[in-house]
Amino acid sequence: MGMFPSLFRAALPSLLSIALALLVCFIAIAVSRSDLSIAANAYLQMLWGGLGDVPSFLGSGNWSLLTRAWGESAAKAALLTFTGLAVSVAFCVGLFNIGAQGQMTVGAIVAAVIGAKVALPAGLHPAVAIAGAAGAGALYALLPAVLKVRRGVHEVISTIMLNWVAVSLVENWLVVGPLRATASGDLSRSGTDEILPTAELPRLLGSLSRLNAGFPLAVLSAVGVWFWLNRTSNGFEARAVGLGMEAARTAGIDVRARVYQTMAFAGALAGIAGAVWVLGTEYKFPATLGAPYGFDGIAISLIGQNHPLGVGAAAIFFGVLRAGGTRMQLLGVHKSFPELIQGLALLFVAGRLIWDSVLRRSAKRAVPMAEVPRA
Amino acid sequence: MLEVIEAILFSTLDYAPALIFAALGAVLSERSGIVNIGVEGMMRVGAFAAAVAALVVPTGAAVGAGMLAGAALASIHAYLSIRWRSDQVVSGMALNLVALAGVTFLLETRYSPTGTPPIAQLQRWTVGGIDGVPLLRALSGHSAMTYLALVVPAVFHLALFRTAAGLRIRAVGEKPLAATTLGISVSRLRYPTVIGGGLLAGLGGAALSTATLDRFEQHMPAGLGFIALAAMVFGRWTPLGAFGAAAFFAGGNALRIGLASSVPRVLEIVPQGFLLALPYLLTLLVLAAQGTKSRAPASLGIPFEAEGK
Repeated sequence: MGMFPSLFRAALPSLLSIALALLVCFIAIAVSRSDLSIAANAYLQMLWGGLGDVPSFLGSGNWSLLTRAWGESAAKAALLTFTGLAVSVAFCVGLFNIGAQGQMTVGAIVAAVIGAKVALPAGLHPAVAIAGAAGAGALYALLPAVLKVRRGVHEVISTIMLNWVAVSLVENWLVVGPLRATASGDLSRSGTDEILPTAELPRLLGSLSRLNAGFPLAVLSAVGVWFWLNRTSNGFEARAVGLGMEAARTAGIDVRARVYQTMAFAGALAGIAGAVWVLGTEYKFPATLGAPYGFDGIAISLIGQNHPLGVGAAAIFFGVLRAGGTRMQLLGVHKSFPELIQGLALLFVAGRLIWDSVLRRSAKRAVPMAEVPRA
Repeated sequence: MLEVIEAILFSTLDYAPALIFAALGAVLSERSGIVNIGVEGMMRVGAFAAAVAALVVPTGAAVGAGMLAGAALASIHAYLSIRWRSDQVVSGMALNLVALAGVTFLLETRYSPTGTPPIAQLQRWTVGGIDGVPLLRALSGHSAMTYLALVVPAVFHLALFRTAAGLRIRAVGEKPLAATTLGISVSRLRYPTVIGGGLLAGLGGAALSTATLDRFEQHMPAGLGFIALAAMVFGRWTPLGAFGAAAFFAGGNALRIGLASSVPRVLEIVPQGFLLALPYLLTLLVLAAQGTKSRAPASLGIPFEAEGK
């Protein structure tokens, strides 16, 4: 058996879940508007909104019709990749990181401060801001790890609490208080000061698109996480801890150190999501984070089956859908509609044992397959 | 001064039911061993369904629709976590995301992006005889939700700790295998507790849109479901404890809003953000102090598989 059939089999429950979610949501639009063509049109708009308006492009040859959409999709995909990785990296040591939202929030505010208040040369500035955001996210994720290891506090509860602590302190204190924009006298402005031009993530296609360096950085990070987990002994040890703490301890692995290190790593990735969002898209910390990107990370991680490359693929898919959601608005379908597709897909992935049993039954009915020994 | 305390007490009693019912719903589900992170989503569909139903039927009956909506969401959670042994945190989180985006979609398609049209609020009751009594009169003039929220926790507490059914629920949450050997069906007990938890969370949501306010607003319940979880943990997974914690958090919130409007100078010294973060910080501190002695049900979150399956 080659690599691809087994890869396909592994991804099948996720693919079926996404397909089913797309179908259910299609029916939801058709029924709620009692019009099949509106649903079809909405899906088409979502596709063109995410991938670029291909028909108009073919008619006019105007590249910006495509590149503009790519920029929006890539920006969303980058955020989803980082928060998705933040969840799946923590899963490696058996921790459920519900806290990506809070880690992203502290990362974003640190990036906004470094971007606006520190003077640095253009090449260095974003790097320093990203590093600062990663550090903040890492520290913020270490807290639940320490509570878990030393005090036995379940990380699901502690990360939920820390999310709201971060949101309350950043959005309801820092952003409206000490860090509120001062540059202009305009009282209607919300959020922090705009970052300096030197801190902006470089745009890759110039004026053609808002596509910025965040997306390639996200792809590199996904590959980097894959490499760490599969090609380094450190990553191997982390996975061993996740598979069984006692066994790992017996094998001489420093379990505590691996849990701390991995959770800090996860928080750093969520922090970078915040930095990429501030430095690449918003250019400041606006009044609120706006979308629950941290919670989306849970969906992306699980739909990507906690595999770094699966996370990347899921993030790109939903990044495209969600960028396209803006265009559905034209038809009176809320722009957050793709989030419904994403949530349903996660729900169907949660019932993955159902898929397993359905697939097993249909496999039995077909030609009996030789059992492939698992590696 | 007395008027200020009275006003804060009054708004606490107005705001607390949503939190109390949702926290009780979480306790009911988690006591039987099923994690319920989906409270937020169940509150959201409950608040929405109640407001929508109240556009056509009397508001009192519409509350029932909100409860049923919460229960419907909970039954998906129950089916996935009990029948298919799905990860309960994943399933709950998925339901939160679905409720968030799904209700936004329905709201936009049917009404306006900001909320439903106003409805007739639940009738407010006057408690006879205390109208002239300072402080005590804050107890008067609330909807049935408030009075219900003061009674249900005690009844629930007694039922959980003093009845056979309550003992079974706790047994299933602590040692499902031992319960099975005594002839208790784990899943037959967990379905009603999880769905009952959804009914309560839906009731909490309905309290928001029919009693606290007079419509469904786009951001409801705006994280209240997660405060309810904090109240559950803070109250050590007991109905009366959760009730106390929820009332305490609601009081803190009323105090914050009261301070913001009457003595804004206080908020320059203690920013609102700190006060908003307080329930979560307190819960974290309590958890950290309790450490492994925390009172979470022993089998919480562990899918149960009967032997010989």
